[in-house]
Amino acid sequence: MTVSMDLITGLAAFLLTVMVLSYLIGDNPFFRLAIHIFVGVAAGYAGAVAWHQALWPKLFRPIVYGTLAEKLLAVIPLLLGILLLAKLSPRAARLGNPAMAYLVGIGAAVAIGGAVMGTIFPQTAATVNLFGVTGDGMAEKLFEASIVLAGAVTTLVYFHFGAKAAPGGPRRGKFVQALGWVGQFFVAITFGALFAGVYAAAMTALVERIYFIWIFLGSLF
Amino acid sequence: MKFKFKGLLSTAIAIASGVMVLLGYFFTVPALVNVRIELVNWAVILAAFAIFVGVVNLLAVHGNKVRRKEKGRFYSFILVISLFATLILGLALRPEHPTVAALFDSVQLPVEASLMAVLAVTLTYASIRLLRRRLNLVGVVFLVTALLILLGAAPLPFFGDIPILSDVVRPFLTQVLAVGGARGLLIGVALGTLTIGLRILFGAERPYGGK
Repeated sequence: MTVSMDLITGLAAFLLTVMVLSYLIGDNPFFRLAIHIFVGVAAGYAGAVAWHQALWPKLFRPIVYGTLAEKLLAVIPLLLGILLLAKLSPRAARLGNPAMAYLVGIGAAVAIGGAVMGTIFPQTAATVNLFGVTGDGMAEKLFEASIVLAGAVTTLVYFHFGAKAAPGGPRRGKFVQALGWVGQFFVAITFGALFAGVYAAAMTALVERIYFIWIFLGSLF
Repeated sequence: MKFKFKGLLSTAIAIASGVMVLLGYFFTVPALVNVRIELVNWAVILAAFAIFVGVVNLLAVHGNKVRRKEKGRFYSFILVISLFATLILGLALRPEHPTVAALFDSVQLPVEASLMAVLAVTLTYASIRLLRRRLNLVGVVFLVTALLILLGAAPLPFFGDIPILSDVVRPFLTQVLAVGGARGLLIGVALGTLTIGLRILFGAERPYGGK
C-alpha cells in the first residue's frame, strides 16, 4: 500500500515537473494544465489552513464552547467577517468597507511598528556600530564602515526625487545629483549580488529537478 | 449625506484600530498590550475570512467560464476540481494529515521547484537581453557584479576556489559594497512604509473604499 502511494505521488510529481519544464520550449497546453492544477490545489489548501488555523480555533470554537466573555469577544470579528463576505457581491460590496478599513488600519499600524522597530532603528544602529572598532585591522574596518555608510546614504539620495522648479523643468540640486550618481552604482552592485543569489538558487532547483527526473525514471526500469 | 457617513465610519474604524495597535507597540502598558493582541487576533480572523472570499471568487470566475463554455474552460474545470478536492480533503482531514500532506508534496513542491528551475533559464535569457539592448555603465556594473559573485561562490572543476576572486573580491562585494546599497534600500523601503502607514492613520489615504 505504501509503495503504491509512493508511486502515485512520485508519478504525479514527475508529470507535473515535466509539464512545467516544458515551458522552456514555449507556452503550451501542458504547462497551462499544470499551472491550473497548482493554483487550484494552492487555493484549496489555503482555505483548509485558514479554517483549521484561524477560523475554528480563534472564532467558532470560542463561540460554541467558550465562556460568556469569550463568546462576546468573538461576536465583533464574526460581524466584521460577515460584512467582509459582502465583498463577494458587487451590489453589497460597500457593506464590506468597514471590515476592510479595520484590516487596513491594523495592517498600517503593524507595518509602522515593523518599519521603525524592525528596520530603521536596527539598520541605522548596525551602520553606526561598524565605526566602534578597536585593535588590529582598525584602519581596514573603518574604511569598510565608511564605504557601507556612503553606500547607505548615496542609495537613499538616489531615490530622493525632490526637485526645485527651474526654467527648463524641475531639477535636482547639483550636490544631490552627484550623490545620486554614486548611489546608482551601489544599487547596481546590490541588485547584482541579489541576482547572483537568486540565480544560484534557481540553478540548484534546476539541477534538483533534473536529478529527480533521472532518479524517478531509474526507479521505474 | 448618507454616503459621507459610511465613508466616515470606515475611516474612523481604520484610524481607531490602527492607533490602538500602535500604542500597544510603543507603550508596554499591560492593558494596551492586551488590547493590541486582541485586535491583531481579530485581524487574523478577518484575514482568514478574506482568504475564503478569495477562494469563493476564484471558484465563481472559473465556474462561470465553464458554465458559459468560454475559451480555456477545460483548464478552469481542472482548477475547480483540484480546488474542491483539496479543500474538502483539507477541511475533513486537517492540513497536516498524511493524505493531504502527500497531495501537497506531489503537487505544490514539484511545481514550485520546477518554476524556480524555469527561472534559471529565463534569468540567463534576461541577462543576455540586457547586455544586447541596454548596454550602459550601470548595466555592466550589475552584470559584472553578478558574474564575479557567482564565479567566486562556485569552485571550478579541477581548480577549486579561484584565488583573489573567492577570498577578496567576492567578500568585498557582498559584505561591504552590497551591504551599503542594501541598507540604503531597506531604510528607504521602511521610510516609504512609515509614510504610507501614517497617511492611512491620518485618514489621508483610504484604500478601503472611503471617499
